[in-house]
Amino acid sequence: MAREQWAETGVGAVVLAAAAGFLIYSLNTVGSGRGHGYEVSARFGQVGGLTPGAAVSVAGVKVGTVAGIALDPKSFEAVVRLDLDPKVPLPSDSTAKITSDGLLGGAHIAIEPGGAANTLKSGAQIENTQGAVDLFGLVGQMMRSQGSSGDPSSAPAANAAPGAKPAASSAAGA
Amino acid sequence: MGAVPVGLAPITAIGRSFLGALRTAGAVVLFAGRGVIAFVSPPWFPGQLGRQIVGIGYFSLPVVGLTAVFTGAALALNIYTGGGRFNAEQIMPQIVALGLTRELGPVLAALMLAGRVSAAIAAEIGAMRATEQIDAMQTLSTDPFRYLIAPRLAAAILVLPALTLVADIIGIGGGWLVATRTLDFNAAVYVRNTWDFLQGWDVVSGLIKAAVFGFIVALMGCYHGFNAQGGARGVGRAATNAVVSAAVLIFAGDYLLTTLFTHR
Repeated sequence: MAREQWAETGVGAVVLAAAAGFLIYSLNTVGSGRGHGYEVSARFGQVGGLTPGAAVSVAGVKVGTVAGIALDPKSFEAVVRLDLDPKVPLPSDSTAKITSDGLLGGAHIAIEPGGAANTLKSGAQIENTQGAVDLFGLVGQMMRSQGSSGDPSSAPAANAAPGAKPAASSAAGA
Repeated sequence: MGAVPVGLAPITAIGRSFLGALRTAGAVVLFAGRGVIAFVSPPWFPGQLGRQIVGIGYFSLPVVGLTAVFTGAALALNIYTGGGRFNAEQIMPQIVALGLTRELGPVLAALMLAGRVSAAIAAEIGAMRATEQIDAMQTLSTDPFRYLIAPRLAAAILVLPALTLVADIIGIGGGWLVATRTLDFNAAVYVRNTWDFLQGWDVVSGLIKAAVFGFIVALMGCYHGFNAQGGARGVGRAATNAVVSAAVLIFAGDYLLTTLFTHR
C-alpha cells in the first residue's frame, strides 16, 4: 500500500470512530435519561403545547430545559421533569408557570422565584404550579356565553383567572 | 434510406436524436441486465468483490463523513432560523434528523460516491477498453461482466447503505454540535428528542434509496467506461459522462422513490 492509502485508511477509521462514539453517547444518554444539571419535577393540570426541549426561564433568562413529560396515571396530572442549571439554585417555594411567546406555539416554562431560604434539591418537586391556558377554549366559552346568556354556570368559570394550585388550573383548560 | 428532401432536414435531425436516445436507454438497460445476471449467478470472484468493497466503501468514508457533518450543522442553523419565525425552534432536532435520514444522508453520500467512484470506475474500465485489455480478457474466456462489472455493482449496492448510515449518524452529530455549542440546546434533550422522534422507517427508507443509488453509481461508471471510444480522450469523456449521468439519475431516482414511499 502506498503512503497515501495509509492516510486514507487512518482518516476512514477516524470517521468510523466518530460515528460510533456519537452513537454510543446518544444511546447512553437515552438510556440514563439524565441531563447535565439538577432535575426537579412539577405537576400541571394541563401542559398544552409544551414539548420536551422547551426552555425553562427565570425572569425571561433561560436556566434549563424540559427534559420529559409524562402522565401520572393515578391523578391524571402531567408530570414535567425540568433539567436546571446547577449555577441557579431556586427557592423551594418557587412557582412554575407554563406560558407562551405568542398565540402560536412557543410554549415554555417560566419560574417565579419565591422567598424561602432553602433551595430546590435534585429530585425535588415544585409545589406551586400554573398550567397552560387553553386560549381557544377560553375564546369559545366567552363567545358561547355572550351568544346565549342563559347559561350562567360556564361564564364565570371561563372568566376566572386560572388557579395557582396544580389541580385547579385544569379548569381553564377543560 | 433515400435522399432526404432539403426542407425535412431539421425533422430528420430530431428523429435521429430521439432514436439515439432510445437506443442509449435500451443499451443501458441491457447492460444493467447483463451485470445483474453476472452477479446473481456463479462463477463469482470474491477477491474482486472484497477489493471493490474496500475501494468504493471504506476509502469513501472521509469524504462522506466530512460532507455529512457540515451538512448537518448548516441544516441545524437553517431550520433553527426557519422554526424561529413561528416560535418552533424546539423542534429543530426532529426536523434535522428526519431531513438527514430520509433525504440528505442517502443523496449526499450517493453524490459523493458518484464523484469519487463513478469517475474512477469509468476511467479504469475505459483505460482497459482503450488498451484492449477487455478484448484480451474475452480471448482468455474470462467474462468481463463477471470479472469487472458484477463485483463493482455488488460492492456499490452493499456499501452505499452502510455509508449512508454513517452519514446519518455523523450528520445528526454535526447538528447536535452546533445546537449545543452555539444555540444553547441541552445536549441530552437534543439526543433524546431525536431518538424519540425517529421511526424505523425513516432510516430504512433512506437505506433502500441508498442501495438503489449505489446501483446507479456503479452502473453509470461501468457503462460509460465499457463503451469508451477513442483512446485517452474517450476515457476522459467517459469519466465526465459517468459522473453527470449518475448525478442526474440519482436526483430523478430520489424523487421517484420518495413519491413511492410517501404514497406507500
